Amino acid sequence: MAGVPIRRARAYNFLAYVTLVLISIFCLLPFVWMALASLDTNAQLFLKWPDAWTFDNYIRVFATENGVRWFANSLFTVLSATILVIIISGLGGYALSRSKAWWKQPFLYAILLIRVLPSTALLVPLYKILLTFNNGIGALVRPVAGENYRTIMHVFGFIDGYLGLIVVLATGQLPLALWIMKVFFDGVPKDYEEAAILDGATLVQRIRRVLIPLALPGLAAAGLFSFMSAWGDFLLPLILLSSPELQTLPIGLFRAFLRINEIDYGLLAAIATIYLIPAVIAFSFARRFLVQTFSGGVKG
Amino acid sequence: MTTPMIQLSGVTKSFGSVSVIRNVDISIDDGEFAVFVGPSGCGKSTLLRMIAGLESIDGGDLVLNGQRINDVPPDQRGIAMVFQSYALYPHMTVAQNIGFSLDLKKVPKAEIAREVDRVAELLQLSDLLDRRPAELSGGQRQRVAIGRAIIKRPRVILFDEPLSNLDAALRVQMRAELQKLHQELRPTIVYVTHDQVEAMTMATRIVVLNKGQVEQWDTPIELYNHPVNTFVAGFIGSPRMNLVPGTIVADGIAQAFRADAGWTVKLAGRQLAGMVGQSVTLGIRPEDIRPVESADEADLQAIIAIVERLGAETYLNVQNGEDTLLVRAQGDLALKPGATVQLAMNHKAFHLFDQTNRIIAV
Repeated sequence: MAGVPIRRARAYNFLAYVTLVLISIFCLLPFVWMALASLDTNAQLFLKWPDAWTFDNYIRVFATENGVRWFANSLFTVLSATILVIIISGLGGYALSRSKAWWKQPFLYAILLIRVLPSTALLVPLYKILLTFNNGIGALVRPVAGENYRTIMHVFGFIDGYLGLIVVLATGQLPLALWIMKVFFDGVPKDYEEAAILDGATLVQRIRRVLIPLALPGLAAAGLFSFMSAWGDFLLPLILLSSPELQTLPIGLFRAFLRINEIDYGLLAAIATIYLIPAVIAFSFARRFLVQTFSGGVKG
Repeated sequence: MTTPMIQLSGVTKSFGSVSVIRNVDISIDDGEFAVFVGPSGCGKSTLLRMIAGLESIDGGDLVLNGQRINDVPPDQRGIAMVFQSYALYPHMTVAQNIGFSLDLKKVPKAEIAREVDRVAELLQLSDLLDRRPAELSGGQRQRVAIGRAIIKRPRVILFDEPLSNLDAALRVQMRAELQKLHQELRPTIVYVTHDQVEAMTMATRIVVLNKGQVEQWDTPIELYNHPVNTFVAGFIGSPRMNLVPGTIVADGIAQAFRADAGWTVKLAGRQLAGMVGQSVTLGIRPEDIRPVESADEADLQAIIAIVERLGAETYLNVQNGEDTLLVRAQGDLALKPGATVQLAMNHKAFHLFDQTNRIIAV
């Protein structure tokens, strides 16, 4: 800073750091409370040092509560949705990048609009549509399933079944993933494919041995974004799932919070911490792919 | 006469309503180094991609080694291609890149390794086989791209502006390496460039394209000495040929050329009596004009606008009225802009073009 005396510059720096530290504390406090409360025998709603350290809250999540089930349900539905998103956005992003169709731009903006519209506003018609699908599937399954009807519908049902939640979760994540993959493939020159054609590669070989390896960073970024976002979704599992054995982690957390007699802050903090961990792990993976994907295409 | 390796007869192509290749007839013999040259947008790359099979052919015949291949898939044509961007697969090593086509054909691993070694040795890539393309220099990537082409032992190798991503020094070096490679392996090469220097130095035959049409195709020196129209005359040769608009006038029993700018030069030894009064274009290469001392030997005098002293030769940009002429004089001339200079022309080196820009035969 030319022209500013060193003493003044130091004062500015000091002020800047004080401000940054205050903002950091503000951002970190909830996490600190959560971590401390989850390890406290007597957690309260205010920030305090634990009376005594314990893992009891975590043990209770898995032993007395249905924590393992919730976690497994969350992981299964979100991972399935993510895989679905990766496959569809990979193929769709490629098509959207290479196509010269007149509807390409309108389509791209239309799918972005889906993302922008608050899903809460669409819940009622969505529920109605899913219910219709569910009845359809039910009518198909009922004659053949017999006693296993409920079990099968828990997997393939659109209401109160895994399939419905997976499809809707994936649909919600697709617009952004399609855009990511479209932009990514824009950065992959057509030369690679043409070189592979001249090398004698069939369509399947071109996809498997050239396009997928080239698209891997983009697919990883799209997949991790979808995972993180779907993992955080609360409304859809709340509306679409009702059977206790299908509950996911955020719903488990919500129901634990709603219990009438008392609020067990230690237990809530423990569930919340468990809920956070996969997102943090996903993000740490995502970082390196994000830089590669958004700093522009394939280098080589 | 032997059958040509590549023969195009009446080949056409359009993108929508835009006609990009119009009625192209060329034949290229086995072992030739043919260069397609032309300004950007002339259709040279499209023509190359049609030979490769990456673009469809709308009309006419493409015959390779006696067999019509209009509808043969690219990989079954026995043709390899080196792309402008090289298109080396970034996730594969140099060895995997070179051996990819054999790997796809399910050739045994040991044989692939042997072939890759053979090609790598030829292209001095043996020490780089485990590297990835990102770790290579521009010239090395270029050689890997060539290696990927020649491992298939193709009858024809296509090059799409392969040197345009390299710096000037490397371009000169790669030009020499390509020629050496051509002499050693004797494949038929079709090479696309917009750089007429590349075309002149490497080609055994040049095809000059403009607006989707073949303007002329011949050996480099033949094109240089006998351009059939003003486009070829202006495109081949660096610095480019001077093209001066003017009229043929009577000069005693002979004829002379009067430039629109006003100066006149004799046209000796030509039968142009019937053309007096016609508008023509006079073409003269910069090296066929030289500065002289006395006005007696000079054809015209002009004012120097720009002087470029290169040491071994000097380029003069001179003006006579509205005409600007480029002069390429031997040796270093310490001339100053603004000075008047006497110029003599080599009268045997004139090219005369008629109003449709075609050469006038004499």
